[in-house]
Order: sequence, then structure tokens, then C-alpha cells
Amino acid sequence: MMLNSAQAVSDVTKEVGNAIELQGIKKHFYDKDENIIQVIKDITLEIKNKEFISIVGPSGCGKSTMFNIIAGLMQPTEGKVKVLGEDIVSSTGHVGYMMQKDLLFPWRTIIENVSLGLEVKGMTKKEREDIALDYLAKYGLADFAHAYPSTLSGGMRQRVALIRTLAMDPEIILLDEPFSALDYQTRLVLEEEILGILRDFGKTAVLITHDIGEAIAMSDRIAVMTQRPTCVKKIYDVGLAVELGSGMKARADHRYNDFFENIWADLDIQIGRDS
Amino acid sequence: MEMVQIEKVSKDSVNKAKKKLSPFIIHNLSRLGIIITLLAVWELAAFLKWINPFLLGSPSGIWDETVRLIQSGQLYTDMFATVYGTILGFVIGSLLGSAIGLLLWYSKTLATIIDPFVVALNGLPKIALAPMIIIWFGSGMFSKIILASIATFIVALLSAYQGTHQIDSNLVNLMKSLGSSKGQIFKKVVIPSSLPWIISAFRLNIGFALIAVIGGEFISSDKGLGRMIFVAGNLFNLNVVWVGVLSLMAVAIILYVIVSKMENRLIPWEDSKRQKEN
Repeated sequence: MMLNSAQAVSDVTKEVGNAIELQGIKKHFYDKDENIIQVIKDITLEIKNKEFISIVGPSGCGKSTMFNIIAGLMQPTEGKVKVLGEDIVSSTGHVGYMMQKDLLFPWRTIIENVSLGLEVKGMTKKEREDIALDYLAKYGLADFAHAYPSTLSGGMRQRVALIRTLAMDPEIILLDEPFSALDYQTRLVLEEEILGILRDFGKTAVLITHDIGEAIAMSDRIAVMTQRPTCVKKIYDVGLAVELGSGMKARADHRYNDFFENIWADLDIQIGRDS
Repeated sequence: MEMVQIEKVSKDSVNKAKKKLSPFIIHNLSRLGIIITLLAVWELAAFLKWINPFLLGSPSGIWDETVRLIQSGQLYTDMFATVYGTILGFVIGSLLGSAIGLLLWYSKTLATIIDPFVVALNGLPKIALAPMIIIWFGSGMFSKIILASIATFIVALLSAYQGTHQIDSNLVNLMKSLGSSKGQIFKKVVIPSSLPWIISAFRLNIGFALIAVIGGEFISSDKGLGRMIFVAGNLFNLNVVWVGVLSLMAVAIILYVIVSKMENRLIPWEDSKRQKEN
């Protein structure tokens, strides 16, 4: 029942073809002394409908700025952002957001956290809790519906954060290093789970990560960014996870290492200069 | 801190009670022992005239006065007046202060403008306002309520406003990305996130409200524990002074416990955090 609206939206987006279009995005800030700090030099990027794209770049290169622009939390200095064919001028809940910190509200129980977005939309308590409980049950978290986040493990909390994002039923999900605070095993499990979920629901996903391996294992495409002021250096067509059916298999494939070496070379990270 | 330890100990004591005396019982027996010894030495010293009971009072004298004041109903009247003034002043000042402190989140400009005024008022010992307040509002209960409200208002305001500064900006961004309005952010992030700061101000404010009411009663009043202590002190009736002081202590403890209970009610998530740490 909750899928109906998603399908309606995705029918529209099929005609459009691109989920996100960044056209000549430039962004600069002013520091205390009124000097211009150029963060984004020029980004033009088309993100296709239902694809999984990763943005990989050196730290501090302005990836998160790019994210905030897509989410509508920040305005570009120049250029245009189109999400699902529409110009984005402010934040309207058009994209779901998942970050390194799970950002669960400590004063809300799990079910209240999951239904947060629906509450903002103005749904009644009954409606939103039904939806939230459906999702929680689907991902094995129903028993924790009325617990507070502080009692859950990091992996579970991040899973709740993902469910909260999904419950809003956004067409596009932005993932800003969502796994970096987790231990390696939990990370692999969650990667797999998220791939499965995104496939089930037919979502477009943009992943920001430092982890080249993670990007290769999950993505259809990878955009490698330059140092700040940033622009797109190169785009790789990967698609191992889709072709082989899972991120684990992608990691075991012989092409994985080739991609890794090439992307590593592109990043041109030199110890001491970058950090 | 100490409260938590006691709770923890009492949980352990349930398990160990049958084997040997639990720390819970040992602690309380020791405390009782200290009090009894103190009272016995005091009484004996007063009886043998080692000390001057006229200047120090004596336990038996305090007891006699307590019984007399309870029977005449005066203790009840005075205690009620003080508790009533304290609670009402505390509630008005704390709620109003917290509300304004929270609302300042809406306007950084306004907050910056009034900042020096708030700091100046915060530095002022509020009891210095008592003579003026009593001239304006009379020596009855009303002036004590006003005094306690003023004493608690600024602390609550500052604390709530500081609370709004500790908000995780990521939570605000998340709310924005969900398309929420400023009012929704205020209600769903700013208020709950500042609650721990507000509650900690409440705990301080119980003490401040009590000080303000007692101070006001010292200066001019028709009833209250402060008046009881002040008048008896002027008459060198030290036993009655002691009754007043001990009653005040009891009132303070009870009010403090009530606020602590309120804390568990209002911020249950902090409680579950503690439980996990234990």
C-alpha cells in the first residue's frame, strides 16, 4: 500500500530519465577576512534513475557540500540542480539522507524515530506507526520498537536510520559515509542489506565514501573527484554488484583490483600533502 | 551521583540480604547511630550544664516545642506558607524563564541584544530586591511568590538558552531535509534536546526559590518558617529556631526528591542510557 505513491513517482521519473542533474555547479564561501574560498569549481553530472553512484574523492574536497546542495540545504553560487526534473530551490523532503552518525533522536523511541519524517508530513499517529512497524518488522527490529536508541548497537542504530529514510519513501537516497563508524563485519553486512533494499524498492542512491573498496563493491558507477576546488575527474562504469548479484561477490572478482588500482591512482593521494 | 549509588546498592542488597548484612543496612544503621550519638551527647551536655541550653537549645526542648507547635497548628500554618510560596514561585519563575530561554532560539538578534541585561540580572543577588518587592506587593504571600519567581526566572532562562546552543546541528539539518518548518524543528528538536538543561536548572531553582521565600519572610511577613525562625531568634528561643531550621531541611529534601522524580518522568531516555551503562 505504501508502494503505490513510490510507483506513481517513478512512472514520472522514467520519462525524465535522470534522477539528478547537476549543471555547472559552482560554490564558494567567504572566510573571516572576506577571502573567497572556492570549494566546487565546476560539477556537471547526470545521475540516472535507479542507479547506484558513488562519489569518491580526497578528504575535504567538497563532497559534503555537493550533498547539501543536492538535498537543498545549501544553494550553489552558480549552476542548477534538477531533482526528478524539477529545479531545487529549497529543502522539501525530496531526498532521503543518511549520514555517518545515525542521527537518531535520543528522546524518541525507535518507532517514533522511524516515523519522524511521516510526522513532519502531517500523517496521523495511527497511519505513521502502522507504516513504521511494517518496516521494522521487515528488517527484524519490531522487538525494539519501543526501546530508546541508546540501548541499541551501532549497526542496529544505523539500520534504524536507514528505515527512517525509507519510511519517507523518497525517490533518491543520499548516503554520506553511512558505514564509516561501524566495525568491518557489520559494515559488510549492512552494505549487502542496503544494496538489497535499494534494489527491492527501486531507489536511486548516491554514496559518498572514502572507502574505494566499498564504492567498487556497491556501485553501478563511480565518480572520482579532484582536490578542492573540486570537479569530476573521471567516471567509471562498474556494475559488479548488479552483474554478480552481491557486494561480496564483487569484492572477490578479478576486476575489483583493477578498479581499485585505477581509482587509487586517480585520487593521487600523497602522504603528508593530503591530510 | 550519590542517589544512583544508593539505588545500585539497594538492588544488590536484595540478593545478598539473606547471607549477611547488606551495605544498604550497614549504611543506614551507621547514619542512625551518628544521629543518636549526637543527640545523646547534646542532651547530656545541656543537662549537665556543660553548655548553655539557653544559647544552644537542647534535643528535649526542641521536642517539646515541636509537639507544642504541632498541637497549636502553628507549625502547619508556617510550613504551608513557606512551601506554598516556594512551589508557586518556583513553578512560575522556572516555567516562564525556560519558555523565554527556549523561544530566544528563534531570534539570535534579540538574544544578542538582551544578553548583557540577562548577565547583569544573573549576577545580582536576588534577595537584594526583597525590600522593594515587599514595599510594592505587601508583606503577605504574594510578595514571596514574586521574589521566588524572580530568583528562579533568570537561572531557568539562561539554562534553557544554553540548552538550545548544545543542539546537534545535524539533527536540525535532518529535520530540514525532511522538509519541516521552523516551528516543527522547535517542537521536535529544540525543546526535547534542551530538556536536560532545563531540568538541571529546576534542581538548582528549588534551592533558590526557598532562599528567596525565607529571605522575604525574614524581612517582613505574617507567617512562614522564615518568620518563625526570625521571631524566635529575636526572642532567644533557640529551641523554636531549631524546629524551624529542621522543618526547612525536611521541606528542602522533600522538594528536591520530587524534582528528581520529575526528571525521570520528563527525560526517560537519559534514564535508559544510565541503565545501559550500569
